[in-house]
Amino acid sequence: MLSRVASSLYWLSRYIERSDGILRMLKINYASSQDTVQEFTWEPVIRIFTGLQAEEKEALGNDSRAVLKYMVLDKENPNSVLNIITQARENARSVQEHITKDLWQCLNEYYHAVRDPALSFWIEKDDPITALDILIKQGMLYYGTVEITMERGEGRAFMNIGHYLERGIQSVDLLDTKFGSLDDNPDLLTDTTYWKHLLLSLGGYEIYLKTYRKGFEAENVVEQVVLNNEFPRSVLYSVNHIQMYFERLKSENNIDNFRELTFLIGRLQSSIKYSSVKTIKQDGLHEYLTRIRSELFNIGNVLNQHYFAYS
Amino acid sequence: MNDQAYFNQYQPTPNTWDEMFGADAKIRKHYQKVINYLTKESIDDLNKKEDLAKRLFMSQGITFTVYSSGEGIEKIFPFDIIPRIITGEEWAFVEKGIKQRLNVLNLFLKDVYSNQFIIKDGIVPIDIIYSCPHFLREMYNVQVPYDIYVHIAGIDLIRDHDGTFYVLEDNLRTPSGVSYMLENREITKRLFPDLLPQCKVRSVTEYPNILYKNLLSLSPRQIPNPTIVLLSPGIYNSAYFEHTTLARLMGVELVEGRDLVVSNNKVFMKTTTGLQQVDVIYRRVDDEFLDPLVFNQTSILGVPGIMDAYRKGNVAIVNAIGNGVADDKAIYSYVPDMIRYYLNEEPILKNVPTYQLGNPDEKEYVFENINKMVVKRTNGSGGYGMLMGHAATLEETEDYKNEILKNPRDFIAQPTISLSSAPCYMQGKLTPRRIDLRPYALCGPDGIEIVPGGLTRVALREGSLVVNSSQGGGSKDTWVLL
Repeated sequence: MLSRVASSLYWLSRYIERSDGILRMLKINYASSQDTVQEFTWEPVIRIFTGLQAEEKEALGNDSRAVLKYMVLDKENPNSVLNIITQARENARSVQEHITKDLWQCLNEYYHAVRDPALSFWIEKDDPITALDILIKQGMLYYGTVEITMERGEGRAFMNIGHYLERGIQSVDLLDTKFGSLDDNPDLLTDTTYWKHLLLSLGGYEIYLKTYRKGFEAENVVEQVVLNNEFPRSVLYSVNHIQMYFERLKSENNIDNFRELTFLIGRLQSSIKYSSVKTIKQDGLHEYLTRIRSELFNIGNVLNQHYFAYS
Repeated sequence: MNDQAYFNQYQPTPNTWDEMFGADAKIRKHYQKVINYLTKESIDDLNKKEDLAKRLFMSQGITFTVYSSGEGIEKIFPFDIIPRIITGEEWAFVEKGIKQRLNVLNLFLKDVYSNQFIIKDGIVPIDIIYSCPHFLREMYNVQVPYDIYVHIAGIDLIRDHDGTFYVLEDNLRTPSGVSYMLENREITKRLFPDLLPQCKVRSVTEYPNILYKNLLSLSPRQIPNPTIVLLSPGIYNSAYFEHTTLARLMGVELVEGRDLVVSNNKVFMKTTTGLQQVDVIYRRVDDEFLDPLVFNQTSILGVPGIMDAYRKGNVAIVNAIGNGVADDKAIYSYVPDMIRYYLNEEPILKNVPTYQLGNPDEKEYVFENINKMVVKRTNGSGGYGMLMGHAATLEETEDYKNEILKNPRDFIAQPTISLSSAPCYMQGKLTPRRIDLRPYALCGPDGIEIVPGGLTRVALREGSLVVNSSQGGGSKDTWVLL
């Protein structure tokens, strides 16, 4: 497979996963902003998904519609859903003969949906959840189409590596940000809605209720989001899948590069697998998550260097 | 009957061959079934079909992007829902004519890049060839597989007021538009269920298979699975959709210049598992940009060193490099003589009479009759830089004359040919619009094959004779009947 094609498929997949993460996060946060007596703060969301400076964040304030508009539709925001989907489509466009026609049409429709003027009407004037749901559904259509139509080959492996790398990074970021807020406001530790929203925005609320019967506790949340291999957005689940799909790229032609990456992925996988909530507490959660994040970034960089660096 | 008002109001253009209406204002037989079908539909139905066509083009991304004010706007190439119909007899004639012509053009290219008998025998003047910017000395004595230079040709045909076919121009470099031949047919299948089989329309779907078979046969390495690629300038090219469509339909890799590298006079592509040798390149990049070491030094679309690999015979390039000398508009007027010279046959398809402005007598004649002429640049394309004598103002004509006098060799003139017309559905009415026809001929070691169909371009503006898409042209599905 051409390096350029591999790179485009990998990024296509990362972009879609990112927009999915953003949209779900926005939906839950918006809902929660409608269900609180205190002033709702968008700061953690903005911190995770934008590179805004303090004064720019200030300007955006806590106006839900303004934040939604900025995060979904703003052309100037490089990480807005509009721009991410445009990027995803550009990547798909240059590799059209490597994805199925169904998948190309699906992305094309997603692109036209995000540019539909009705969307900004819902966000600015009417019910924003409708707009977010339309887009989330487009994302689900994408995942379904990939699952049903895409060939199980090298291209799919690169797409899945991108997908799970992005997902792992998102879960780490979210957990780190949410727990970071505890330092300023220890009351949150006992605030059940705070944990509920965290889990909801990762789609892990139901699984939490089934696993832990005693209500919300910070330690259990950490255990689920980092270590639960049954939870599809946990860090361990993501890294296990990166490992699984990378294994499929094994080829005699570049065995040295393959070994180097296998080593990096395996080391990260083991270090998570052989952690427990107890050892994480000993290390300090923030330090632990920071290390995982930098190892995930490093895997992305080495992959780029050995498999995509075609120029 | 009110519903059919759009049909009854049809007014064919006077002194023009109308594809649907005969001279006695009767519908030609081969249009009858389509018209019967259409008259059962109301204006509302047809408007819905038009909308459906637009939606299909849009959702399938069959678009080109126009960049303005910092953002890309997706546009579709205008499509008229009423098909253009060619009878089996007409097609047999066109097919025979194109085969003869393409055969000769290949012989001409072989000759002009080797022995040059045609120059020595005084059939084509030497200065016409050597002054052509597309004549590439770099191609002299290069061996190309099976002596085929033109693997894919798009010969543009038009019909005069009595229905006679004329060749308007030969496109032998990187003719485009074939994806519209294929996609327009797919759209028609959706718009008019059952109509195609009822009318016994011949299928065009074989095109990518024939092309692939030909590409495969050109591989310099005799190995089971040679690597065939389609070289595209990239996603910003207006024909990018076509490149991806063809690559997908043939199952070949779509590459850009930056994906390829030349080492030891061989071409390789950069893959995730290292370099992989490339055997055949169907390139959609012009000669000029193909190799910055030999041609345009500033090109980043090409592959440095590819010309060396080509000259050594380590890679096949389709179409061959340097074909522009055969479709130059000044060479065009010698094609009938070439047919007589190489084959000792009379040309089947006529040329439009052409005046060389490089010739002082002909120039004088053209200047005297300029309002009956179309003047073109010999190396122009896309309908740019033309003068339509009958429609130009006095001032435009004078400016253009001055332009000609600077370098007369660069211009030719042809009498204004009226172009045949065909019915188009516009704002609830059928109205005649001028059309041309570009069939796609494929030349391989087994001979020349032409899929029964082609691209019919339409001049959508009323009264316009220019069908180029850059000048407000659209397209129609083109039916060839059994």
